[in-house]
Amino acid sequence: MPPLIEYHCGCTSLPTGIPPPPHLASSSFAFHPLHGLYFCEECDAVRCNRCVTVEISGYYCPNCLFEVPSASVRAEKNRCARNCFECPVCTNTLQVVPSDPPEPHSGAPVTISTVGEPPFFLYCNHCRWDSFDAGVTFEKPTGLALQLQKTEDSAPEILEVEKLKDYFEPALKQAQINQQYQQALAAAATGGTTGAAGGPGNVGHSPTTSLNPIHVAASSALSREVPSFKYSGSSRRPGLGPSLAKRGPAPSLGSNVNDIDHPTKDYKPRITAGTGEGLAHDAEIEWVSKLGLPAGEENGGGAISGISFAHKNEIASLEQRLHATQYSWAPTHSLRTVDLKPTRVPLRSKKSKRCPKCTHILIKPELKAQSTKWKIKLVAANYLPSIEVVIPTLGLTNPSVKRTGKEKDATPEDAALANMMLPGKTYPFHLVFSNPLYDPINVRLSVQRSFPPPPTGSTPNTAPLDPSAAVPSRRPPYAISLPTSAFPIAAYAEAWEYEDEEDEEMPDDEELGLNLGIGSRTPGKSGSGRDGKGKAKTVGILERRANVTKVGGEVVIGKDGKGAVKFNMLVTYTYRSDDPAEDKADTSTSGTPASKLGSARKDTNSGSGATDNMKTFSFYTVVDLGMIAPKEMVAKVEKQERRESVQTVGVYN
Amino acid sequence: MRGDITIGAGTVVHPKAAIFALGGPIIIGNNCILEEGTILVNRRKEIMKVGNDNLFEIHCRVEAPYIGDFNTISTKARVHHTVRLSNHCVVGAGCLVTPTEDEVMPDYTVLYGPGCERQTWSGRGKLQEQDLRRKHGEYLREMLPKFNRIRRTDE
Repeated sequence: MPPLIEYHCGCTSLPTGIPPPPHLASSSFAFHPLHGLYFCEECDAVRCNRCVTVEISGYYCPNCLFEVPSASVRAEKNRCARNCFECPVCTNTLQVVPSDPPEPHSGAPVTISTVGEPPFFLYCNHCRWDSFDAGVTFEKPTGLALQLQKTEDSAPEILEVEKLKDYFEPALKQAQINQQYQQALAAAATGGTTGAAGGPGNVGHSPTTSLNPIHVAASSALSREVPSFKYSGSSRRPGLGPSLAKRGPAPSLGSNVNDIDHPTKDYKPRITAGTGEGLAHDAEIEWVSKLGLPAGEENGGGAISGISFAHKNEIASLEQRLHATQYSWAPTHSLRTVDLKPTRVPLRSKKSKRCPKCTHILIKPELKAQSTKWKIKLVAANYLPSIEVVIPTLGLTNPSVKRTGKEKDATPEDAALANMMLPGKTYPFHLVFSNPLYDPINVRLSVQRSFPPPPTGSTPNTAPLDPSAAVPSRRPPYAISLPTSAFPIAAYAEAWEYEDEEDEEMPDDEELGLNLGIGSRTPGKSGSGRDGKGKAKTVGILERRANVTKVGGEVVIGKDGKGAVKFNMLVTYTYRSDDPAEDKADTSTSGTPASKLGSARKDTNSGSGATDNMKTFSFYTVVDLGMIAPKEMVAKVEKQERRESVQTVGVYN
Repeated sequence: MRGDITIGAGTVVHPKAAIFALGGPIIIGNNCILEEGTILVNRRKEIMKVGNDNLFEIHCRVEAPYIGDFNTISTKARVHHTVRLSNHCVVGAGCLVTPTEDEVMPDYTVLYGPGCERQTWSGRGKLQEQDLRRKHGEYLREMLPKFNRIRRTDE
């Protein structure tokens, strides 16, 4: 695994903002790659995808890119109402195609008219499925939704739901009225002033009615007049107490109204299980059992196992059936592929995101469905320097590139080993910082010591880690050394994007020694002044060009090191901003004071606006340098390589 | 190109296509279209026969010993030498058709998806596709000579 860097968002951590130590398995969720983070300008804080509030800014169909107003979204059940359909077999979008013209008998080349002939049907370009078998054909190539409307509305499921609604509606209304009635009665029984006691006792969805005696009298009079008011058992409402058990003359039961709890009339569904689309239950079992047998043999209880390969396509797979069920309102009851109908394309939404604390909008897409740009785009990459980490001496000997042309994969161990570090060695690594701001910044790094605290209970501190200090409870398997002084990164200027590669070297840079010279071809930056001379400066500023600064650090792997080499790194940077706002002294910087910061702070607060303030921002990152190769793997690969080098490599073109 | 190759009339071979008749000869039928990056390899001694009106899309690699008519082998597909395609087959984009033993794909087979699932095409729309293929070939035959040099073949 190549080395990578991820940034920390403070939403999941302790209020102090210190991220969890990376060797804990659960710490990986607190870190995100830079491209997944946003930055709120008001709060000066990093926000991640998990802490932002998301709201929907619009719906659109991914196929026809039509923006659907939110009202019709609900009406169309989150589908596209126009001619967009999905193939049930491979879930690609379907095309409307005309049928073939009739073949001429003479065998002369067929003339295809541009308009095409009816009947039109849906056709999938990818798997060549078409809707002819499913019975979906159209007379005209446009306005498919309308043509399908009829069949969809008369689907048995829809009718079933309608019937259920009709059945339950009067009963629901009745229950509601009863509740209000009992509420009113309770109010009357307890004297009106304590009518509120009846309210909470009711577990119901009826709105609280006014509980004055006049209302109660009126409703009781009504219940006497209208015979359909029904008195239900007192045990239904436990909170009302036994006083309600005795009531006045109970109104008679309406003959045509059912109580939900004690139905007199059973609901009779339109369709029973197994009927509807597809085969009936018994017929289906027979069909499946016949699939397993060669043609011509009929055996009622045949084995379902051993379904021959040729018939596999006739059974709809679980994903296909679920896909049809989940998205459309006509679930397929049957197992057969031929019964799978094309479903409408589900709509997608465009979201805008807000900061959770100040509700400042972070991301706002443009309203048009086909444009991928943003109206507001406050992404962290525009504010935080982007960091890349490279270990130049690893990954060079790539064993998978043995022969050209043929893709022969090396053993997975070889490929993995190429990126692993061996215990007992020292590896220099490069951190490449790119500054996105239009002002130059000064960056300071510090490693957070992140090992489990010793039994005495001291908390981890953020002092820079030097190799000589040993943690009493657990020895870290590696030691990191980083440049401790602040280094500047130049501002970003767009003109540089169009410039050719130039060597803009600062005089105090030194390139590393020879071994680094081979591998330091980081993409896009040509080597600058590679001198084969001895003095290798691995820790410190390596290169500065445009708005990018390359810094070197070193990691020493202990002899008995195991596992991944990960450490938290605190990055603090100061930049000059022209805001008339007050200088924000960020207290989460590391313990070492930044001298530049101290002096700059003096010339703030000088009154009128547009003063140069030095603003500071700091964020945590986790640097993952890769895995330390376990000894067994190293030994195995070395043995294999020795064996392979003996064989002759056969060449064929 | 290498080896003993016979190409039928009307076939369009893109300049970046490669045909290697290493083991045995390759015979390609009429009106085929070999797009850019196509590799046809024959490592066996027998003749590799490709039928008429086939379409080999970009970067596909075919070693099948026999291919019928009107097949489409889509982008970046790989057809192994154990497979024989009949007519009107479609090998989907990126499919690796590498069965372990010899296999014959019946007519109208469609292979698609990353797992190379099979389906059988109903054949509907076949005429339109034939027409489209023909037009595709005609267009290429018209446009490519304008921008590339044509290798003169002597019959």
